[in-house]
Amino acid sequence: MRRTMLYLPGNNPNMLTRGYLFGSDGLVLDLEDAVAMAEKDTARILVQHFLKQGEFGSCEVTVRINGVDTEYWKDDLAAVVPFPALQGIRAPKVDDAATVKIIDEELSIIEEKNGIPVGRTKIFCLLETAKGIWNAFDIASASPRVAAIIPGGEDLTADLKTSRSKEGTELDWARRMLVFAARAAGVDPIDTVFSRVTDDAGLRKETEFIKQLGFEGKSVIHPNQIPIIHDVFNPTEQEIEKALKIVAAAKEAAERGQGAVSVDGRMVDIPVVKRAEYTLVKAGLLEVK
Amino acid sequence: MNTAQAGTLESMDCLVTVSKAAQGAGVKIQIAGSSAARFKSAMEKKTAEVIVSMGVKDIDISIQDNGALDIVLGARVEAAVKRLIGGER
Repeated sequence: MRRTMLYLPGNNPNMLTRGYLFGSDGLVLDLEDAVAMAEKDTARILVQHFLKQGEFGSCEVTVRINGVDTEYWKDDLAAVVPFPALQGIRAPKVDDAATVKIIDEELSIIEEKNGIPVGRTKIFCLLETAKGIWNAFDIASASPRVAAIIPGGEDLTADLKTSRSKEGTELDWARRMLVFAARAAGVDPIDTVFSRVTDDAGLRKETEFIKQLGFEGKSVIHPNQIPIIHDVFNPTEQEIEKALKIVAAAKEAAERGQGAVSVDGRMVDIPVVKRAEYTLVKAGLLEVK
Repeated sequence: MNTAQAGTLESMDCLVTVSKAAQGAGVKIQIAGSSAARFKSAMEKKTAEVIVSMGVKDIDISIQDNGALDIVLGARVEAAVKRLIGGER
């Protein structure tokens, strides 16, 4: 599950120590924007020590590296990829499939050198430019390592030569496009952060909107945002009850050799069953198939 | 460069200052700050471990601690020594 992926500043021992305790599904140890230029070296070493010895509970652990247009990204990868605690890297400013391939190749070199199965390290791509959004499907399908694509917030808005509005009108199309591209390529669409950290009602509204679009979860910049996002993404008791009924009816029908059945007066066919199963997966009542 | 620093005085962090020492002077470690009274020997051990693993023999290290865990202390010492050797700062 990737309902919430919490950013932790890579040079902040306090957050790196306590980050997993806030209960997000994933963590993003950040070596990019959260770290001042003069501290890139110390943050990299600190994050490396945490990957070696730190506690992360059951969180999916990723590291946001610096962009491939900087002098840092290869050192970032070399520092973090060898450790089993790392499940993926979040790559900023991915504009096209070629960027994914460059990172993919570098990951393979490091994995091979360290005796790690090649392909273990997943890539989470940040699409922060108009070009990146336009190429979303190509990016999502550029490597089997790609686990998710994520739209940018501030950078994308700047590239579109507009500004952030409360309603998020400027990101509307990018978000819809990203969900289509991700689902078509079989990767997760994960939303950008909600930056007004004290606006709980606004966060809830935006999360409800992006869930309805088809997003799998959201990037998080403040621990207080986690319970609100989980609350929106978690199926309600009513939804779970209905899903259980549908799955049970479908199982019974299959045992009787029937294709479709009706539950509460509604035809239940394969897509409905699939959706019900997905609800149960999200409720933790069914293993991912 | 004869001196380098890494870390901060923020909570759960420490500020490590390292200086080159004359050949044969050995490793000298000074620790001050919030956890120093209780954990001094453990902190010295961790610091020495990192220094030895980096192949450094003669160095002065001063640590101003504000509740850094072992992991953080090790990372800050490594970063400071790398800056001293590499002249990154």
